[in-house]
Amino acid sequence: MSGLAKGFAKTTLSALPPPPPDPSPRSSEEGVEAVYDDSSSSSSLSSTGTVVPTSSLKAAPAPPVGWSDFFEQELYLDYQTDSLRAQYHVYLTAPSAPNAPLFVCHHGAGSSALSFAPFALELRKLLPTAGVLSLEARDHGSVVASPSSNNAILDFSLPVLTLDALAMIRLTQAKLAWPSLPPLVLVGHSLGGAVLTSVAATFQLGPSVLGYAVLDVVEGSAMDALSSMSALLRSRPSTFPTLQAAIDWHLRSRTLRNPASARASVPSLLVELPSGEWTWRTDLAATQPFWAGWFEGLSRKFLEARGAKLLLLAGTDRLDKELMIGQMQGKFQMHVFPAAGHFIHEDLPAKTAAAVAEFFKRNDRSTLVLPPKVSELLAQASARRDTSTAFRGQAEPNHPEAHDSYEPGFVDTPGAATTVLPQTRLSMSG
Amino acid sequence: MSDLDKAICQLRACRPIPETQVRELCYKARELLIEEGNVVGVSAPVTICGDIHGQFHDLMELFRVGGDVPDTNYLFMGDFVDRGFYSLESFLLLLCLKVRYPDRITLIRGNHESRQITTVYGFYDECMRKYGSANVWRYCCEVFDYLALGALVTGAATQLEPSNAGYAEGVILANMPPEDEEIEIEIMDSCNKVTNRYPRNRNLASQQTRSSPESSPSTSASAAPSQIGPAGTGASGYSNGSKSNDGGAVLCVHGGLSPLVDTIDRIRLLDRKQEVPHEGAMCDLLWSDPDDIDGWGLSPRGAGFLFGDNIVKAFNHKNDLSLIARAHQLVMEGFKEMFDNTIVTVWSAPNYCYRCGNVAAILELGEDGSNGGYMPRSNGDVGRREGLAESTVGALKPGPGRRYRVFEAAPQDSRGMPAKKPVAEYFL
Repeated sequence: MSGLAKGFAKTTLSALPPPPPDPSPRSSEEGVEAVYDDSSSSSSLSSTGTVVPTSSLKAAPAPPVGWSDFFEQELYLDYQTDSLRAQYHVYLTAPSAPNAPLFVCHHGAGSSALSFAPFALELRKLLPTAGVLSLEARDHGSVVASPSSNNAILDFSLPVLTLDALAMIRLTQAKLAWPSLPPLVLVGHSLGGAVLTSVAATFQLGPSVLGYAVLDVVEGSAMDALSSMSALLRSRPSTFPTLQAAIDWHLRSRTLRNPASARASVPSLLVELPSGEWTWRTDLAATQPFWAGWFEGLSRKFLEARGAKLLLLAGTDRLDKELMIGQMQGKFQMHVFPAAGHFIHEDLPAKTAAAVAEFFKRNDRSTLVLPPKVSELLAQASARRDTSTAFRGQAEPNHPEAHDSYEPGFVDTPGAATTVLPQTRLSMSG
Repeated sequence: MSDLDKAICQLRACRPIPETQVRELCYKARELLIEEGNVVGVSAPVTICGDIHGQFHDLMELFRVGGDVPDTNYLFMGDFVDRGFYSLESFLLLLCLKVRYPDRITLIRGNHESRQITTVYGFYDECMRKYGSANVWRYCCEVFDYLALGALVTGAATQLEPSNAGYAEGVILANMPPEDEEIEIEIMDSCNKVTNRYPRNRNLASQQTRSSPESSPSTSASAAPSQIGPAGTGASGYSNGSKSNDGGAVLCVHGGLSPLVDTIDRIRLLDRKQEVPHEGAMCDLLWSDPDDIDGWGLSPRGAGFLFGDNIVKAFNHKNDLSLIARAHQLVMEGFKEMFDNTIVTVWSAPNYCYRCGNVAAILELGEDGSNGGYMPRSNGDVGRREGLAESTVGALKPGPGRRYRVFEAAPQDSRGMPAKKPVAEYFL
């Protein structure tokens, strides 16, 4: 780390507010990420702002990283119906304990399953028994073709992508011979957020879905951004001479801000041409007719689907009216990462994982303990009364002694809160 | 004119005051707030307000509609800052008024009065923008730590003081209760016209008793608690009999109840001078929401709890309350009473975040003058414990007379508003 970078990190960090006690927008992770985060005070919206190259970017390029550093297995799932023949491609680390959760991740358009690689690693540090299943959409690694002509079916409409995601989850279950699905937490980035919200909204996976987390996509602002999206796409280089050049471009343009993540995810976005050059695997321009359909109605679905809801945003105030009202009525949980770019989970994998892990722990039904319900307390009290009146024979029903030892159902100390009646569970409301 | 009055004038014009003055103000405010208990005692009459969120011009509209300080006694239930463009001016003005008229304005803490939340939702950035340093933000955050967690309003009248206000246009007079009937709820618009009135349903309690199952052994017992004197007074009954004009005490808190808080005294025992924790009683008081569930539920917000009808009624009974007033949740109509009028949400930020299209409201509670200025103390649980299981429903106290003033966003020009942020460079 150069003296300049060190000095910069020092001054930037000392100017920041004292780190709050918990996962928070601007705390730890300085060691790895703050160095590249040279615009932490500026808005993340200006993701293509000026770049101050740091010494480590100039240093000898680190080689791209393979998937096996992040996941246990790579699965090709074959699936055939009358109308399609598919070979889905997913990465999986299976849950390693009964009742351990499975986090199902879905990348955004033009990205890939390895977009979640660093996140998966960080998540497993926090929840060692948890599994991670990272899906790949059609034409992003999965292949869906017509059975007759063998031509790829390039239908990217939301219902079709939703069916793909559902099929991949079910096929994984079949492949690993799970008798039932583990508790699921759906984690979708951008388009993937829309797809997994849609999966949750169909309720096809039933109560296995504990909750869903959506990363940096909001209907209102996504719709606003669509008009400028084509221009943005055209500004990307169409080929790269080497994989390293592609990784460098992603970092230089600040599309990605974490070199470790870029090394893991960028190679999977590209395919080699006969000329030896590399080009994008997915033709994003071809998906343009579907863009609006991806995001239309997303806010409503996000609020209405069953399960706990988490929204992770880069920057601030990207909420549209519907989500703003929903948030202020307390309908979902939200975290904002001012220092991250659009690829939150790649820029800040540890913080994203911490937020998602906390979200899971809070909503984990196997350990969830709530204070006892009043109706249960009343039932207990009346049960006690019944026994006492039974002993007394025909005592008057409202005998004061029947409940004078009765303490209302409040717990006295925080410690006690975790030990009360494990059988009382949450009645999920919405 | 004192410096403080000058600062008030300057802030009323929506102009920030110099950093040195902020520091002095915050120091004085802390000296004042440290003397307050976790639950501040407030005597009616009082006007209760919900979230402000830096919507300075709407705060001015609120003062226009509700009356100015010190003429009107105000109680603000937190969330002064974040999201709006003038968090700084709004909070500093309220703080100046607090220092200037300590007995005429009460400020309690909301979940946004926290370091962690303000760094994300705008107040920190606003201070940086307006002062070029985080000092002012730091001073304000120190004040946040000293804000009370709740307030207990006593001496509110069951009967609304008759107002001479006329009816708003469009109100069908035939639907209004007769003039001589006791009014429990009155709703007024920002032009001081009545838009609706609800008479008190004198049979409310007895109806509910009847609706409880016949087999319940509690029927006879449920009528009893209303004959008990105010808790803590040792009285066997209200001196002025059952026809008391005492509206019962009203607990004001930003969020709601906590499973760790069964009595108001439990709140008084908390150590509040700290950043809002992520869990525990203090967190719950600032984060929880009422909901149509049975008992307690997990809050989707990620902090605090959801609490149901029976929790509120049990708490109110045990603590001799007639009503809980809270803020924290956006309600499109400005206010929302729930659970047989035992809890109300008051929201005072119209067109929230300049885009939500909601109206705002404030809640006025009148003064009970019937007892020669004496009011029964009402804050304890003495002697009420036993009754909880039996009479959670039957013993609802008559709520105070409530006048809601509903108002819309102030017309404002866009001067001083930051330029609209560029559209996100979304990738798909």
